[in-house]
Amino acid sequence: MNAWIVFKKELVDALRDRRTLFMVLLSSVAIGPLVLIALSALVAGIEKRAEERTVVVAGMEHAPTLRNYLLRQTYRIDAAPADYESRLKNQSLADPVLLIGKDFEAELARGEAPLLEIVTSSGNQRAGTSVNRLTRLLRGFSNEQAVLRLALRGVAPATLEVLDVQERDLANPQSRAAQLTGMLPFFVLMAVLYGALNAALDTTAGERERGSLEPLLMNPASRLSLVIGKWGAVAAVGMLIALLSCFSFLPAQSLLRSETLAAMFQFGLREAALFLALLMPLAAALAAAMMAIAIRCKTFKEAQANNTVVVLGVSLLPLVTVFNQSGEAPWHLAVPALGQVALMNRVLKGEAVGAMDMALPLLVCALIATAGVLFVARQLRTAALR
Amino acid sequence: MIEVQHVAKRFSQGRGKKARTVQAVDGVSFQAADGCITGLLGPNGAGKTTTLRMLAALLPPDAGELRVDGVDVQRDPQAALARMGVLSDARGLYPRLTARENIVYYGRLHGMSDSAASRRAEALAHLLDMAPMLDRRTEGFSQGERMKTALARALVHNPPNIVLDEPTNGLDVLATRGLRDALRRLRDDEGKCIVFSTHIMQEVERLCDQVIVIAHGRTVAAGTVASLNALCGERDFEESFVKLAFSAEERARV
Repeated sequence: MNAWIVFKKELVDALRDRRTLFMVLLSSVAIGPLVLIALSALVAGIEKRAEERTVVVAGMEHAPTLRNYLLRQTYRIDAAPADYESRLKNQSLADPVLLIGKDFEAELARGEAPLLEIVTSSGNQRAGTSVNRLTRLLRGFSNEQAVLRLALRGVAPATLEVLDVQERDLANPQSRAAQLTGMLPFFVLMAVLYGALNAALDTTAGERERGSLEPLLMNPASRLSLVIGKWGAVAAVGMLIALLSCFSFLPAQSLLRSETLAAMFQFGLREAALFLALLMPLAAALAAAMMAIAIRCKTFKEAQANNTVVVLGVSLLPLVTVFNQSGEAPWHLAVPALGQVALMNRVLKGEAVGAMDMALPLLVCALIATAGVLFVARQLRTAALR
Repeated sequence: MIEVQHVAKRFSQGRGKKARTVQAVDGVSFQAADGCITGLLGPNGAGKTTTLRMLAALLPPDAGELRVDGVDVQRDPQAALARMGVLSDARGLYPRLTARENIVYYGRLHGMSDSAASRRAEALAHLLDMAPMLDRRTEGFSQGERMKTALARALVHNPPNIVLDEPTNGLDVLATRGLRDALRRLRDDEGKCIVFSTHIMQEVERLCDQVIVIAHGRTVAAGTVASLNALCGERDFEESFVKLAFSAEERARV
């Protein structure tokens, strides 16, 4: 009963803090969809260049045979600008440059291997993506020449092809998209963290700094019920942010500019619901953890400084999968933040998420929340006046 | 009715070699009757605030007993708090809530219904002359307005016992007068037991039926202003107080 009264008051108090709420909404709820849209623009750009079928060449006039081959493959040939080296470096040229020597045609006719150079800069990502395509194209030309020469000598071309190598890609469209959308769970996680942070500090260290904690403790309400009410309100704010940020992806999808990405990024009601099921317990756990750290602090500022530990932890733990190349390990699910990000990524990849997979992080979150709430209540009992 | 008997409290600060203990309260005793205003008078650091904090169940005493209407504060703090309205020296309000919401919140925590607490807030606003600001957010309230709101918040459950820790700190003359009037009315019309601490002489002379002089963590004298003057053989209460509260060496140093 008392917990409910405290809960209602703290929620009203938190929701009236319009300026903070607005900043949280702007910075954390809007950023996910914005990143998604920026990503789609990037992918759309890559796709466009892949379809363009152009090669940028310096010295095309020295190689009529190659020119003939390229044109037969329906490629457009662009002459390289004179300052291509500097333009590749400063990223204003988005294609690698093929360099053809003066004696190309003569060497080719003599059966010597003429040198072709592909000039690119590994700092120039857009050019880098086209290098493979260009290499494949040139290998095709080389193959054709070889086959012609063998045919001239009466050798069957099949003698050269000892192996028949073909690739089979097991990734479904969703898991291919997940390479790009893998950072989305991280943004949602941050939204929840920052959404709950302010309320967590305000209801603990802020209350002490304001001088309203002591009067509050002089009410005939048990400390535990006060803490449960406060924790409930903080967790509710975090959950509200989680709700908003998950569902903000639904309308954002329609803004995707890349058709492939739009087709691959399937974020429907089911995915949103699964995200929420993962984030709600985490919001409750984070709320308790941040309150537990803040309750020992005398001022809001001090609590903010101390809570960087939680903020840093939540931002760094998901990176374990990046540093640890061996992939997802079972213990990942038991680590808060890391487990949620791993499972959200699975949801995005369209992989199955079992009940047991959901239960473990839920259990961990419940433990953290309980421990945090009890700790805060204990602190209030003994150190009311610090 | 508030009874305090031989309470003591020691604080320890620091750790290891730097550790030192401060005996903040060392045997304070007094009795405050219903329908009576009792003043705890003492110099800064005498142990007034610590005593009142123990009374409000914020600190456990090392020794002694505190009773509110016969209820032992240590044994049943919630029942004792329900019979007390405490205005401590920390009187922070919630800036994003209105004065009424601040008051009603505490009323609800005391087990009152929403409407009862709201009605009580209006009655208190009338008593404390703060009706016009009742529905304003407390952000930007003046010191006096804050004090009134905090006092109304402490009195929302209409407690028979009222404990105030230096209530006139930071108030101007008019606000102080208003507070005095309100306290007198609470005593005369409703027969409350009122205890307040202060280090201001005039306050005690004008308001108190009984004075408890506290110095060095101990009760050094108790009685009416007139009886304390008679005890010290002085006509000026300030002289009496200095005689009672400070030792001969302390007086000589000034």
